[in-house]
Amino acid sequence: MAPSSVFVSVRNVTARYRRREVFRDLTFDLRTGQSLGVIGANGAGKTTLLRMLVGCLSPAVGDVRIGGFRPRDATLRTSVAYFAGAATLPPNVRATAWGTLGSGEATLADRRRIRALSQGMKQLLGLRTVLSRHPLQLIVLDEPWEGLDTESSRWLNATLESKRDRGAAVVVSSHRLHDLAGFCDEYLFLMPHEARLMKAHEIARVGPVTAALLTDTFDKLRERPKAPFEQPGQEYRAHS
Amino acid sequence: MRRWWYLARFFFVAPPMPLLMIGAFAVATVVAIVSVIIDPARASSALTPVLLLQLFACASGFDVPARRGHYDLLLTHGEPRRRVIVAHWGASAAPGLLCWLLIAAVRYAISNGSERTLLLNVGTVTAMILVSTIPWAITVRLPRFSGAIGWLLTAVTLSLGRPDMVAVQAGAPIHGATEWLVTTCAVLVYPLLLVGRDLHGRDLLVVVPGVMFAIAAVSIAFWSIDRRDIPLEAAQ
Repeated sequence: MAPSSVFVSVRNVTARYRRREVFRDLTFDLRTGQSLGVIGANGAGKTTLLRMLVGCLSPAVGDVRIGGFRPRDATLRTSVAYFAGAATLPPNVRATAWGTLGSGEATLADRRRIRALSQGMKQLLGLRTVLSRHPLQLIVLDEPWEGLDTESSRWLNATLESKRDRGAAVVVSSHRLHDLAGFCDEYLFLMPHEARLMKAHEIARVGPVTAALLTDTFDKLRERPKAPFEQPGQEYRAHS
Repeated sequence: MRRWWYLARFFFVAPPMPLLMIGAFAVATVVAIVSVIIDPARASSALTPVLLLQLFACASGFDVPARRGHYDLLLTHGEPRRRVIVAHWGASAAPGLLCWLLIAAVRYAISNGSERTLLLNVGTVTAMILVSTIPWAITVRLPRFSGAIGWLLTAVTLSLGRPDMVAVQAGAPIHGATEWLVTTCAVLVYPLLLVGRDLHGRDLLVVVPGVMFAIAAVSIAFWSIDRRDIPLEAAQ
């Protein structure tokens, strides 16, 4: 694969749960070695978008390609790490045993069952398990900093940066904007009936992107009066 | 082969049935082996608790844990969805199959290999196939145990309302299409009554459609899960 080639391609994607539309006409690309932060209110479709990228969900309309393949085929041909949070770990499994399912080596030396672990420990176990595989070409993490202490957050940031520098495309969603700030090359703001993709330098013309700048941008986007074509039920798309 | 090994390892670490079920299988197997040793002629009835447990173990349900995200690691690890589903069925059925083979081996050893064990004849194999497939297929998109509970409710209701079905299944000759249909349904509802029976000729006319039904049910379950989206429960 050529360096910095488009690895994740999302084209005019609409997501629906039965009749309820989650987002519509979403379009963006992500290159190898780049990171995308997905920001949005509850119910905006962050988890839905992330599950589409790993092939667990199909778009109602549009096309998602990972390395040129449909996501479900891409998981067979490329190396994907996906973690959707501590709640997705099976509670009755021993932490040590679960930790070996990533690379085969134990990632957490705790013999307790997962249900007995704290929220942060569960989160760390899940993250370490999926990120222990080498090499990774796509990393998709849903609220990865949730419940982590400072040291674990630092470990996660360092790991993600290292994997990204080795060519992995990284997609992370988070409500904790101070964790996303400065880490991502692009930010996708998901709002009801609107999505907006912005590059880091568009948010911060000078210096790094900060949590305050992300909050400010998100608030402005949410408050922005809608043009007639952006009213619910009309066409819209994420654009840079 | 490495991929199958990973799947086996995953379901060994995170079995599709509760751990209590594994303990129950162990107890039932020990009890069955003891009763076979004491009275080899009672081998068929000794296997009944194992088959009942198998009914519940195979009603493990795929969709519900998948929607909770428990299989996310597996589904994004590079395993084709179909292979994951086959492995899930295999992991659900494996404990019961192992217990059955162990009891059959003990029964065979007791007879010094002088007689064919009743626990490996066509009737027992058919019963094991039916209880290992149909509950799994019914429950694949439902909460755990629902297929087994539904099956037991049907069996109890029918045995109270239509006791003749049990009698027909127990080996009476078949006359006419209606009786054939009733007997075939009886085989599906009361597979435990097949244990230890040697099936010949006309019996097979009843058993083969039952097995075909089981294969069709499993195929439909595979197809439905393979095509299905797996959203997170919390994200809908």
